[in-house]
Amino acid sequence: MTADIEIRNVSKQFGAMTVLDHLSLSIRAREFIVFLGPSGCGKSTLLRMIAGLEAVDSGEIAINNERIDHLPPGKRGIAMVFQSYALYPHMTVRDNMAFGLANIGVPGKVIEARINEAARMLEMPHLLDRKPGQLSGGQRQRVAIGRAIVKEPKAFLFDEPLSNLDAALRTRTRIELAQLHQRLQSTMIFVTHDQVEAMTLADRIVVMNNRKIDQIGTPMEIYERPATKFVAGFVGAPAMNFVDATLDRYGKNATARFADGVSVQTEIASSQLTDGKYTFGIRSEDVRIVAAGQGNAGGVVDVLERLGERTLIYARLGDGQQIVGSDAGNSRVAVGDRIGLAFDGQKSHLFNETGRAWHAREA
Amino acid sequence: MSATAASIKGRAFGDHLLLALVILLSIVMIAPVLWVIGLSLKDNTELMADPNSVFHAPYTLKNYINTVGTSSVFIWVRNSIIVSGGLTLGTLILSSLAGYGFARLNFPGRDVLFVIVLFGLAVPEQAVLVARHQIFSMLKFHNTYQGLILPGLSAPFGVFLMTQYFKAIPKELDEAAMLDNASRLRIFWKVLLPLTLPAQATLGIFTFLGAWNDYFWPLISATKKDMFTLTVGMASTQTNFAQSEGIGFLMAQAVFAGAPILIVYLFFQKYIVTAVSGAAVR
Repeated sequence: MTADIEIRNVSKQFGAMTVLDHLSLSIRAREFIVFLGPSGCGKSTLLRMIAGLEAVDSGEIAINNERIDHLPPGKRGIAMVFQSYALYPHMTVRDNMAFGLANIGVPGKVIEARINEAARMLEMPHLLDRKPGQLSGGQRQRVAIGRAIVKEPKAFLFDEPLSNLDAALRTRTRIELAQLHQRLQSTMIFVTHDQVEAMTLADRIVVMNNRKIDQIGTPMEIYERPATKFVAGFVGAPAMNFVDATLDRYGKNATARFADGVSVQTEIASSQLTDGKYTFGIRSEDVRIVAAGQGNAGGVVDVLERLGERTLIYARLGDGQQIVGSDAGNSRVAVGDRIGLAFDGQKSHLFNETGRAWHAREA
Repeated sequence: MSATAASIKGRAFGDHLLLALVILLSIVMIAPVLWVIGLSLKDNTELMADPNSVFHAPYTLKNYINTVGTSSVFIWVRNSIIVSGGLTLGTLILSSLAGYGFARLNFPGRDVLFVIVLFGLAVPEQAVLVARHQIFSMLKFHNTYQGLILPGLSAPFGVFLMTQYFKAIPKELDEAAMLDNASRLRIFWKVLLPLTLPAQATLGIFTFLGAWNDYFWPLISATKKDMFTLTVGMASTQTNFAQSEGIGFLMAQAVFAGAPILIVYLFFQKYIVTAVSGAAVR
């Protein structure tokens, strides 16, 4: 079973504070969608509104074209995996999984069959008679997912389910979740503030900031063509380099000039741009390290981060601004070296004062 | 001697001192109980002649046989069991429901009502005794079980304890159960209430012991001999400095009286220790 989910003009306030402001979103059936944003952006509130755990102040939520925002959580055909897993501590794993089904009168034999199937899928038949207190964090996580699976819901909701796991287990569980989605072909909504989780799991990412959606797109759209300066800075590690710039718009494409006189020829059409202050943006992998005196700018190496396949180089420009560039894994650059930085104009971005972004024309 | 060895030796001395103190306190606590049992096994006339005869034979079960045959102690024990059991059950039910309500439901005036309930902790029983006596007298509740049970059901400590306990249970469990299509009553009964068992045990034990040992209100409310609770009944037999009934007979009654509470201790030992140590830590 799967579902289209339609969110239309939804708002939410807690007291005088607006948490979500007239937000609309269409989620397609079988889609794995990730709500990504910093703490307090409203992503968990939106998820809880879909689940029915928070009331909708205004607007509508529909599943398969049927309004559900007036229904109690148990009647929406949705399953949710909580950050804390929320397993019933006094019940065995089997009883945890059976509880929801028993509440809607599913016959005992069907319950048993579904539990066994889910346990087999999640490789946990040996855990069925244990209580949550006897399980590791990863096992509890599986049980929470199992409890959701047995309900055969129209959609799965995940509220930061990986944040309590250690780094290795998080990576493994992430892959398992992706496999689970491929197998179940269900609509899944996943909330996280971790952009790696978002990039690796999502069919589409919804980047939220300050009560609103900043951008909806595939992971690569979000990464390569961020709609706002916030998205550009939030997605990607290390964060995109930002440098204050003025623009020359005399040619076909705009040229960005930094305070210390450095200039970068972009591939962004001058005709799109207006007067005003701009920020030049470029990702670290689009800044090559070259010999001092070459490239667009020069700087002194502050810090090196060796990641194995590449080395991140934090260089300070003449005007004190820091730029992160990328070099080979076995880079010979050392801290204190004077280096040149070559910006790839085709991959550069410009942001105006409101944060709106412009990118090079698509190839 | 190294510092570690000195520390261990110091600790061992401390442990021994503590052990000696515990043994001494145990003797202080156990000696009267043994004394009661000893007296209950002696003939009354022999005890009148020489109280120290408790330390040597002959011993007899005559006092126990007389107690079984003539004493009202069984009626008083029954009354105490009904009153203490009823009060405990009622307190657990009411405190759990009230605690759940205060912890989980949003209703107008909730916080004010909670403060009013807590204020009940500050009102001594003696302050409301006359008014309560008048009301119960009007309702003809004196010398009835409801008369003995009802006043104890207003249990602000129980409500406070259960409220705090329910508050400590993560709300995600309620939410998970709501998504599992459970009604509010089912969430309370199947998900939350089982998790409050430690608090229920603590509250139940304290309530039961408090009711069992209560003397003040039963003395006022129960004036007929067949409605006496154990404490009032036992006191009533001592009116003649134990001369009329005989000290051995009285002690046999006391042994009978102590038996139910001893059984409670044996069964709930684990919970009692937890309850008392938990209270100490808090």
